[in-house]
Order: sequence, then C-alpha cells, then structure tokens
Amino acid sequence: MSAEAVPSGSAAAEVVLSAEHLTKRFGRREAVSDVSFDVRAGEVFGFLGPNGAGKTTTIRMLVGLARPDRGRVRIRDLDLSRDFRKAMGHVGCIVEAPDLYRYLTGRENLVHFARMLPEGAAERIPELARLVALTDRLDDKVATYSLGMRQRLGIAQALLGNPDILILDEPANGLDPAGIREIRQLVRHLAADRGMAVFVSSHLLSEVEQTCDRVAIIHRGRTLATGPVRELLDRVASDRLRLTTRPARRAAEVLAAFGPAETSAVGDEGVVDARIPRERVPDALRALVAAGVDVFAVERSLASLEEVFLEVTGGETV
Amino acid sequence: MRFPGLVENEILKFSRQRRFRVVVLILVALIGLIVFAQSRGRERFAGKEWHVEAQERMARIQNWLRDGRLPPSQQRWARFELDRMRYHLERDINPDAISGPLFARGFANAASYLLLPLLAIVFASDVVSAEFQQGTIKLLLTRPVGRARVLASKLAALLLAITLTVLFGGIVAYLFGGIAYGYGGWEAPVLTGFRVSGERLDPAAVRSIALWKDLVLAYGLAWFAALCVGAIALLTSVLLRSTAAAMGTMLAALIAGTILPRLAPSWEAQKFLFVTNLPLPDYYSGSPPPITGLTVGFGAAVLAAWAVAALVAAFAVFVKRDVLA
Repeated sequence: MSAEAVPSGSAAAEVVLSAEHLTKRFGRREAVSDVSFDVRAGEVFGFLGPNGAGKTTTIRMLVGLARPDRGRVRIRDLDLSRDFRKAMGHVGCIVEAPDLYRYLTGRENLVHFARMLPEGAAERIPELARLVALTDRLDDKVATYSLGMRQRLGIAQALLGNPDILILDEPANGLDPAGIREIRQLVRHLAADRGMAVFVSSHLLSEVEQTCDRVAIIHRGRTLATGPVRELLDRVASDRLRLTTRPARRAAEVLAAFGPAETSAVGDEGVVDARIPRERVPDALRALVAAGVDVFAVERSLASLEEVFLEVTGGETV
Repeated sequence: MRFPGLVENEILKFSRQRRFRVVVLILVALIGLIVFAQSRGRERFAGKEWHVEAQERMARIQNWLRDGRLPPSQQRWARFELDRMRYHLERDINPDAISGPLFARGFANAASYLLLPLLAIVFASDVVSAEFQQGTIKLLLTRPVGRARVLASKLAALLLAITLTVLFGGIVAYLFGGIAYGYGGWEAPVLTGFRVSGERLDPAAVRSIALWKDLVLAYGLAWFAALCVGAIALLTSVLLRSTAAAMGTMLAALIAGTILPRLAPSWEAQKFLFVTNLPLPDYYSGSPPPITGLTVGFGAAVLAAWAVAALVAAFAVFVKRDVLA
C-alpha cells in the first residue's frame, strides 16, 4: 500500500500519544536522548533505527515499563507517570517479541488479558480471532504456534481493550514475506478504517516506507528527522535522475557538465545515474540529443528510505 | 476493581504449570514411602500382649499415686498416663501403637522445617521470575492495572497454593497413616504446653488435650511457617528475576538453617534467623529447642517480622523498578 493514499501528518488529526524530551540513562551511557514526537489518530507512525539505536528503550518508556530520567509521555492528555492506569486504558502494545503464555491456549491467553481490562473485553475475543485469522487454532496451545501466529495473537491481545493507540515493536521480525504483508495490511486497516493511531518500530527501511505515513528516525538515542515519509523521500529524491541511454559512457560524459553522473554499464546500452537540479534537466536532455546519444527512458528516481537514512546519519550504515 | 479476576489469572497459571502436579506427586510418594518404611520397622513389636502390659502399667502407676511418694510435678504426669491408658484400653487401641492421626501429627513436626518450606519455595520462587523469563511481564505490566495490584494478586494465589499444599500433605499423611495404623484415635489425649526453663522441662503449664485439637494446632503452625517462607521466597523471586537463582538462594538458606544450630549451638543470635524458627510445631509440642530461648510465640513473631519485611521490600522493588528484561 502506498503512502499517499492516506491523509498523512494532517494537523487536524488529534494527537493521541506524545513523547516529550524523553531521556534515559543506563549508568553513564545515555541510551535515549531528548526524543520527542507526536502520533496522531488515523496514522501509522514509523519509528526507524538500527538495532541498538534506542527504539525498544523508548517504547518501554512509552508504555510505562521504564521511567524516563527526563521528559514525559502523554497519552490522550494524560501524564503516563501520574495517571498510569487511565492512560494505559487507551494503549495496546507488543514490546520486543509477542511473548505470551506458551503453556496456555490462544483463547486462555486472551481471556487472561481480558480479565485485566474493563468489563466486556472478553466478548471481543471471537471478533478479534477472526480479524487476525486465528479462529481455527484458538484452542491450541501457544507453544504449537508459528512465530507469525504468535505475532497475530499478540496483536489480538493488544486490541482487546479497543485502544486508541497501538504500539508494535518490530512486528515484521522473523516473519516470512506473506506474514509481513498480512501484518502490514492489518495495520493499515486499523489506522485507515478504525481511526486508530499505530506506532510501529522497525529497523527495516522498506517496511517503514511501505507501511507508514510519518516517520521518526532514531540513531544512537537521538531523533535525527521526523516528518511525513513523502517529505523525507523528496528531500533526497528531488535531483536524482536515472536514464537508459546508448552509448551509456558517452551519456555520462555529457551529463557530467550538469552534475555528478555515473554509469555502471559495460556494454553499449545502459543506465546512467545522475544528480541534476530540476531546472537544468531540459538543457541536459537537449545536450544529450545534440551529442547523438539515444535516450530510451528518463526517470526521476525516488530515493529509498535507506538513502534518506544515509543522508541524515551522515553516511553511517544501518 | 477486578481483583478476583486477577487472582483467577494467577490460579490458572499455577494450575497449568507442571510444578503443581510435581508437588502433589512428591507429597504422595514421600508420605507413602515413610509409612511403608515405618510400618516395616514396627512389625517386630507386633503380636505382644499389649492389653496385659497396659493393665500392669496402670496398676503400677496407681500404686505410686497411692503411696504419695511422687513429687507433685510427677503426679501430673502419672495422672495423664493413667488417662491415656484408660482411653486406649476402652477403645481397644494399643497405647504404644501409632494411629493414623498420630502419624499425621508426626508428619507435621517432621515436614515443618524442611519439606513444607521447600514446597512453598518451589511455588514462590517462580511467581515473578517466570513472568520475566517468559517475557510476559511486559504484557502484564502494560495493562491498566497498577503494579502493586498485580503483585498482590500473585501473593494471594501463592498463599492459596501453600495453604492447599499443607492441607493436602496433612490429608495424605492421615489417609496413608490410616492404611497402616488405622483411622481411629482422634480423641486420644496428648500432652502439650511444655516449657523449657533453663536446662529442664518445666511441667507447670502442661495439660492434656485431644489429639485432633493438637493436630489442628500443629498444622496451623506448620502452615504459618510455610506462608512466611513463601513471602520471603517471593522477595527473592522479585529481586533475582530468575527462578533457578531464587530457588537456589532459598534452598541454601533452608539447608544452612538446619545445619547451623548443630554446628554452632552457642551462637544465640541465630534465633533471629527465619530458618531457625521454622519447626514451630516442634517447639510447641515441647521438644527441647536447639537454641535456648526459642518458643512458639518467639518463633512466630520472628517469622512474621521476616515475612512482613520481605513483602514490603518485594512490593517496593516490584512497583519501582524498570522492566528491561
């Protein structure tokens, strides 16, 4: 599903969760430094960073498992540390892995967690089992479930309380491509059709790019950029061209006058990647034609989030 | 709000784990073995003319009493012994033989300082650490339920499990003991209320009560001691977050407690350790305590103080500490 299908980052949508200057120290090391962001109703918010960047520590603070040394978490205008019980009534979450009681059945797990919620949560079990496609296996022990099934049961558990915000930590971890697609569709459905705010952490750029409306990029405990996925892509994408030409080497030579250009083509025809400012593109194409180069295709290439990441982190790999 | 539901959750988890069945099995197997071994040893004494012997003994005691040569403290003894003989002769029970209820009484004494605390530890050391080890603590503590309430529900289920274990142990001891020694004898008089003053037993407060009352008291004390051990083990489970580490720590304490009074009987401060005070039923029935100054009341107070301190610490740590595992 593409990002533009959803009203992303519209200021009108209500802020459901906000992290305000969250800081967490372990001994001398600051694992999370001054992290702030808002998650709004109806959007999927991506929290992107390499392993060890401080994603899980941040999530632990969001759900009250760890206390921030500085800053605070607000959920629907409730201060989490002061109104823990009321605030958590709006939250469904999976932290790290979908750890459930393996010696209980799926249904028993759901009943167990429903008992910790206000009346009526248990009545939602059949509906949620259908939503995550577990109806057939609900009375089997969780120990017999595949990782994908446990992930889905974890999501059903998180939805028991009909939360305003769903927090998922690396939901794609360990899943096969079909499983990843299922989770992605479910997450999009919850945000788009039910108006839920969904917070998804990931170290997979492609995943965030395909699932999320807005994203915060975290690296070494700091947020490096926050904004709509489109905007971040455009920041890097605006001057990127990809041309299919013949002869490719000659094309690269001509384009070098307009900006950095290179080709990996060995033979005659091939792809040239160039970075040329938008207003100079027509001149560059005229120059190519004048030089007798055949142009088969010109694409303005969208950067992957990986490139965004490389740019904002100053070249460090994920 | 919803507290019974939380306790129900904890009971569900208790009952589904293998350890519950293991504990039941341990009790049945162990008590069965003890009964079997004991009844083997006793067969040698069987077949004697105990009626005759008992009547001769009664006559002897009556003579002593008539003579008036017995000091007052021994007269009490003598009268009790007469009562006891009479009770057994009337019911045609060998006074030197053990009975089902008497075996159960003996089991309370024997089990109070090692077996029952051990089983309490098996339950308690798992209660919090298992949630950490399974990772389920992250779900448990991100519900709209306060942490203190979560731990309180666990404590309630733990106390229930320990209570059931003590009850079950007593019932199995009575049933198995009954197979070997008969099920009667609930009303048999037993002596109780010994006090130790200095190096001697002080018989001033000794009185005779029915065996069933004695039995209820002994199991009540064993139960209380096991609950206190459970509370302390709960603290180790909260602190160490690993079942194996928590169980190991508590076992080491328990074993140290059985060795210490023998190796260092003159170190009086050990009477403030919780392990020294576990054999409450023993102290109550008047067997000389390993350390001078130990009584039922003192022991119960020391255990209660340990348990309360452990619970306060367990709640404080559980509510405050970050969950990072």
